[in-house]
Amino acid sequence: MDLVGLAFYFLAALIVISAAIVVFSKNIMYSAFSLMFTFFGVAGLYVLLNADFLAVTQIMVYIGGILVLIIFGVMLTTRITGVDVKSNSLGKIQVGIAGLLSTIIAISLIVVFSSTKWFLSEPKVSGDSTKLIGNELLTNYLLAFEAASVLLLIAIIGAAFIARRK
Amino acid sequence: MLGLDQFIAELNKSISMFLPETALVIAFLVALLLDLMFKKSKNLTGYTALIGFLVTGYFLFKQMNMQSTAFSNMFVIDQFGIFMKWVILLSSIGVVLISFFTNELYEKAKGVGEYFTLIIGMAFGMFLLVGSSNLIIIYLAIETMSLSSYVLAGYTKEVKRASEASLKYVIFGAVSSGIMIYGISILFGLTGSLNLFEINRFLAANPVNNFALFLSVIMILSGFGYKISAVPFHFWTPDVYEGAPVPITAYLSVASKAAGFAILLRFFKVTFLDSVPGNDSVWTLLGSIDWHFVIAILAVLSMTLGNLVALWQTNVKRILAYSSIAHAGYMLMAVSTMDDAGVASVLIYFFMYMVMNLGAFYVVALIANNIGSEEIDDYNGLGYRAPILGICMTLFLISLTGLPPTAGFIGKLYVFSAVVKAGYIWLAVVGVINSVISLFYYVKIFRNMYLNDVDSNKSKLTYSPASIVLLFVFAIPTLYLGIFFNDIVKWASYSANIFMGK
Repeated sequence: MDLVGLAFYFLAALIVISAAIVVFSKNIMYSAFSLMFTFFGVAGLYVLLNADFLAVTQIMVYIGGILVLIIFGVMLTTRITGVDVKSNSLGKIQVGIAGLLSTIIAISLIVVFSSTKWFLSEPKVSGDSTKLIGNELLTNYLLAFEAASVLLLIAIIGAAFIARRK
Repeated sequence: MLGLDQFIAELNKSISMFLPETALVIAFLVALLLDLMFKKSKNLTGYTALIGFLVTGYFLFKQMNMQSTAFSNMFVIDQFGIFMKWVILLSSIGVVLISFFTNELYEKAKGVGEYFTLIIGMAFGMFLLVGSSNLIIIYLAIETMSLSSYVLAGYTKEVKRASEASLKYVIFGAVSSGIMIYGISILFGLTGSLNLFEINRFLAANPVNNFALFLSVIMILSGFGYKISAVPFHFWTPDVYEGAPVPITAYLSVASKAAGFAILLRFFKVTFLDSVPGNDSVWTLLGSIDWHFVIAILAVLSMTLGNLVALWQTNVKRILAYSSIAHAGYMLMAVSTMDDAGVASVLIYFFMYMVMNLGAFYVVALIANNIGSEEIDDYNGLGYRAPILGICMTLFLISLTGLPPTAGFIGKLYVFSAVVKAGYIWLAVVGVINSVISLFYYVKIFRNMYLNDVDSNKSKLTYSPASIVLLFVFAIPTLYLGIFFNDIVKWASYSANIFMGK
């Protein structure tokens, strides 16, 4: 196995394990902190894919912004830190059905990923991906760019409305 | 990369074809600013929304015969999309008008400024979804309409069931859009493109792994199925419909569904149509997966479950929620034929469904204004306490069942004949049995209104003359379209042609 392969498996393990802690941990602080490792791992995967701009954005937006906000939120809301998140109050039947469905989906996804002939594009010249992304966003993907801005505006209005005092 | 001049020329052309959507965005921003400037005014954003919708309608009217793509093939303007956009636009106007007469909104929420603003935003999302031919735009559009509807569903924050509805909607919505974008990523991995036209070309030229394709499309379907509330993606529907303010319930059941069906039809036709045979009116599909059967299964599940569970409900909003699941099933039946006659019948059905469903929900809102309840037992004797509401409700219920001489009958007639023509007799039989079952719970509402508590000496219901005028705006077309339906049918058959790119 070459270095890239090793790095990939290391990052993948990091992501899966820390994501599992996010979901299964009963202390919301542990969840928030292990989310950081998930985000770091994903940023690492972007680096492996030569997507340097995306990796930096991932770190800046998700870790620098969103995660810090989450942790601040948790710490400022004193009541939350002490409360255990209950995630085991489901009936046996529900857990059984959900488990069965998830297993079926997981198996079919594994089959798909191991047996499919994926579309492979020609490796493009790597280099200044920031400039390329900028150009694409304002030409071919202009509509998506603008639609996303409206989407974010709606999200802000909605969040402000919900958070507002009664 | 394009040259600058060429790009600007193309951009100008694209923008000129994007005017209805642009009008909506501008109305959205204006409403937002007006709401900030004039805090006290009651319905200012509502009127802004109405004006915005009228301007949108004007631009939409000017596009009537256009057929083109814009923004580097990301957006399509065609007759099919324009028909669906009319349905969405008309129901948006209807919902804004219904909102004016819904006391619940004014009593239990602090101001309705953001309410109408978000309705415009949601309409923009639906317009975008109807015309999108790129998976990224599809995803963004679905998120735009979802995010606005999450907030709208819980707009009356003081009401506990509304907040609960909103939260459930968010959770189910997040899961289904997560599954959908996973499916999109698999489809992208198989074909190397996000553009539906290019995916179609790739699928026509290269064989791909059937199982992977099947899985990715099923995952994408979960996003669409969530929007049209088809079984098994329907779990949110009853709770959200019950908890949300009545106008929003009506909006979710008509416009949101129309957008979902539009993208479902466009996705299947554009992605899987084999354009070689030449005759497009009966679609020849690429690949060996039997999509007819997949959609037919969804249709049967939605119809049967929707109708059977509706039998046990005691809340009128919940009954109408399950009935809307069943109606999604009838329309999916027509989708499963995968030919232009099926598309035309879905369009006809939607136009009829819009009028009668908005009407039914409007009556529910007017009754709730007076008695503050939507429980079916509280409807006892209402036919005598509010004669006009009673008669109109009966009309809408007959129409929803699909009996002549109402609009609903014409819709069902065309759906069933499209299904039979395509040779799916068994499916049509299931549909007819389901229609009969549905009669039972619609009649239950009717029975409570007219046969129970006949000698009630409770006071008569009060309603303003303006609200009755609006009621007739829904009731008269329900009757009229049941008799003079030729124009709608002609327009729908003309609009059944989904644009396949250059």
